[in-house]
Amino acid sequence: MKPLSATAAVAAIEAGTLTSEKLVRDCLDRIAEREPAVKAWAFLDPARAIAQAKAVDAAKGGILRGIPVGIKDIIDTYDMPTGHNSPIFAGTVPFGDAACVALCRTANAVIMGKTVTTEFANRHAGPTTNPHNAAHTPGGSSSGSAAAVADGQVPLAFGTQTGGSVIRPAAYCGVIGYKPTYGDFNRVGIKMQCHSVDTLGLMARTLDDIALFRGAVLKFPPVPVDHRTGAPRIGFCRSPVWDKALPDTVALLERTATVLSSKGASIVDVAFAPRYDDVIDDHAAITGWESVRNYADERLRNPDKMSAEIKEGPMKRGLAVSFERYVAAQRKAVAFRAHVDSLFDKVDVLLTASAPGEAPEGIGFTGDPVLNSIWTLAHTPCVTLPAGKGSKGLPLGLQLVGLRHADDRLLSTAAWVAAHLD
Amino acid sequence: MMASMSAPNTLTATELAHQIDSGGVTAEAIVRAHLDRIDARDGDVLAWSHLARDAALERARVLDRGPRQGLLHGIPMGVKDIIDSVDQPTTYGSPIYKNHQPLADAATIALAKDAGAILLGKTVTTEFANRFPGPTRNPHNPAHTPGGSSSGSAAGVADFQIVLATGTQTGGSVIRPAAFCGVVGYKPTYGHFPTAGMKANTEWLDTIGAYARSIEDIALFRAALMAIPFTPIAKLGAPPRIAVCFTHHRDELSPEGTKAVNDAAAALARAGAQVKEIELPAPVRDMTQGQKTLSAFDGPRAHADEARRFPHLLSESLKKDKLEAGSKIDYATWVAARKLGDTGRAAVDALFDDIDVILTAPAKGEAPLGLERTGDATFNLLWTYLWMPCVTLPFAKGPIGLPVGIQLVGRQHEDARLLDIAAWAKGALA
Repeated sequence: MKPLSATAAVAAIEAGTLTSEKLVRDCLDRIAEREPAVKAWAFLDPARAIAQAKAVDAAKGGILRGIPVGIKDIIDTYDMPTGHNSPIFAGTVPFGDAACVALCRTANAVIMGKTVTTEFANRHAGPTTNPHNAAHTPGGSSSGSAAAVADGQVPLAFGTQTGGSVIRPAAYCGVIGYKPTYGDFNRVGIKMQCHSVDTLGLMARTLDDIALFRGAVLKFPPVPVDHRTGAPRIGFCRSPVWDKALPDTVALLERTATVLSSKGASIVDVAFAPRYDDVIDDHAAITGWESVRNYADERLRNPDKMSAEIKEGPMKRGLAVSFERYVAAQRKAVAFRAHVDSLFDKVDVLLTASAPGEAPEGIGFTGDPVLNSIWTLAHTPCVTLPAGKGSKGLPLGLQLVGLRHADDRLLSTAAWVAAHLD
Repeated sequence: MMASMSAPNTLTATELAHQIDSGGVTAEAIVRAHLDRIDARDGDVLAWSHLARDAALERARVLDRGPRQGLLHGIPMGVKDIIDSVDQPTTYGSPIYKNHQPLADAATIALAKDAGAILLGKTVTTEFANRFPGPTRNPHNPAHTPGGSSSGSAAGVADFQIVLATGTQTGGSVIRPAAFCGVVGYKPTYGHFPTAGMKANTEWLDTIGAYARSIEDIALFRAALMAIPFTPIAKLGAPPRIAVCFTHHRDELSPEGTKAVNDAAAALARAGAQVKEIELPAPVRDMTQGQKTLSAFDGPRAHADEARRFPHLLSESLKKDKLEAGSKIDYATWVAARKLGDTGRAAVDALFDDIDVILTAPAKGEAPLGLERTGDATFNLLWTYLWMPCVTLPFAKGPIGLPVGIQLVGRQHEDARLLDIAAWAKGALA
């Protein structure tokens, strides 16, 4: 039986044909059945979830009435540990809820539990497997959230993106991932890695659910997806790192462009101006310089409790970035954002890759964010839509990128694309 | 015990660092001198929300036994209690967090400790760095506010209770209290100091800043807090090109505030600076309102947890300023305010083709009477939102003898240059 969307569940709960308690128990049953294989949860207390569901049923109302939500374990919850997949924080319970968690509770959602993250949302992976094939990674760093939503365990989950950590795992797991315009979602209570690009994102199985979830997190009435928009003007943007796209991905996107064109969309090729060909290096300079400083306490006070992977990799690279390089990268990033804005003079949306290809084999490596980082730097809203399977039978996604601050329009355009994919 | 002219708590951090190196003073003696001053004075000033007396002395003894740790070896500092400390309580100025003990040190504390600094204690902040004041009094006149929200840090440095302290600015909360208390305040370019572990007020604006009694100390502190190589203040090759800007709020500037800017401009011109007056371009003028929109909007979101679980422990001022005001701002208005930032910053950055620094007012005037309000941030808001580095220097006294400062604003990302110019200006204004 296909798992319920959040939108359908809220409607059923309001109509009285479903309770949050029933929904949460069904989700918990699914989790219990699948957790030995998928391992999406860093913390789950079924009794607490059911108690919340009962309280939610009694309270009534709320945009997310009754919906269980998965919280990536770098996001604070006042009643559950926030471990960051790090021995430094294992089992520790923060004082308060993150803003996004509190806003979900205000919207009468149920906080189901904490989903597995890589260590400090970086590269050292957790135990989560891809629900489509347990021999493969679900991607990261929002590993558990992507897997849990894909596996029908919860309808909604939070992720975060500094490189590619919402879009890529969503694509690998065959669900919808949405990274909003930078700055839209409040980041209070989310462990700060790189203040210039860290973005809270959403995972769900339908675009209507993304729009609903977005409303709750913004603390505004949700703007419904407009399913009747006309065919968009699409810019096929291969981006300067296109050589990292694997044959499956290239074939998918070319095929998609052809199909959408036949359905009425206009498609043009869009490329960055040559001076932005190396902008991925600026992303690395910014994230490197900022992350070693934001993680100063961890690496200085508890270095032996940080993985070799993070110390030898991101921390070491970040410490090598000079302040002058950082400032140059920040200035370039400002110009780059204006440049990306200008690309939307002629198109409504950009079509590009969500990830190099299918989820790689093995769970130690969460995949390459190279095709995502540029957009994270650009601060643009991004959506990945499931788009079939690759040659190994694992999901592929396609990424749609919108104009900054025009997220609602992106979601509606994504709906048109999703409806015209085959 | 009376403080003598060479008592360690009256020296600058730069002077203390030299004395530690030459063996002229120990870290322990420095900490003791500060504690003695605090014991003598803080009953009147109330700058501290927590004092780590024994831990600081113990840390000083450890540092005295070992090799030089870094730029701030043996130097005590105060940190605004809006910033997390793992070994000292952190209350954010709110009864909700009365006994709160964070799980980690904020990045700025970690980096300062790594440079050998000693966290002497946490200084008083207004509630969540907003408007509801703490008990701190202006050391120059206890009937007057020290300003806020970084009340304790500004007052503590001004009163020789602490040599270096950090604050934060969302509206005017580093610069204005520094001006009211007659010390050097520095608000860096937005994003330069790492914000991990700082309780956010408004993400788009919050900037960690620093207090000291000399520009040289700011340069030293800055290098440690940013984990960048220290370069001492450099002599300018030529006197700077200064743009005097009263802003479009000039009618609200007090006579003493106006006089300070004019007198400073004249003195700097006599010292060789090219001085002209400028008006801010139109989009920049809108940024004062833009700041208010951003700040209000974040209220219901940043404080969603407190509002949900502890509404009875929030001040009426916070509920009104942040929660109610913030809930009335629609998405389009907020987005417009954010877009304005890009436009405004580009417009002001372009001015720096012809100028080196902007001279303006750091506050309306002297610190106002009374402790219920921390003063008006009108002369700070748009610089904060412009993300530009700002320094306030003590300069004059107002009609009732309270400090009146001046503010220098530099090009975004060119903080070192701003500090060089500020040092030149301080010399020229002496």
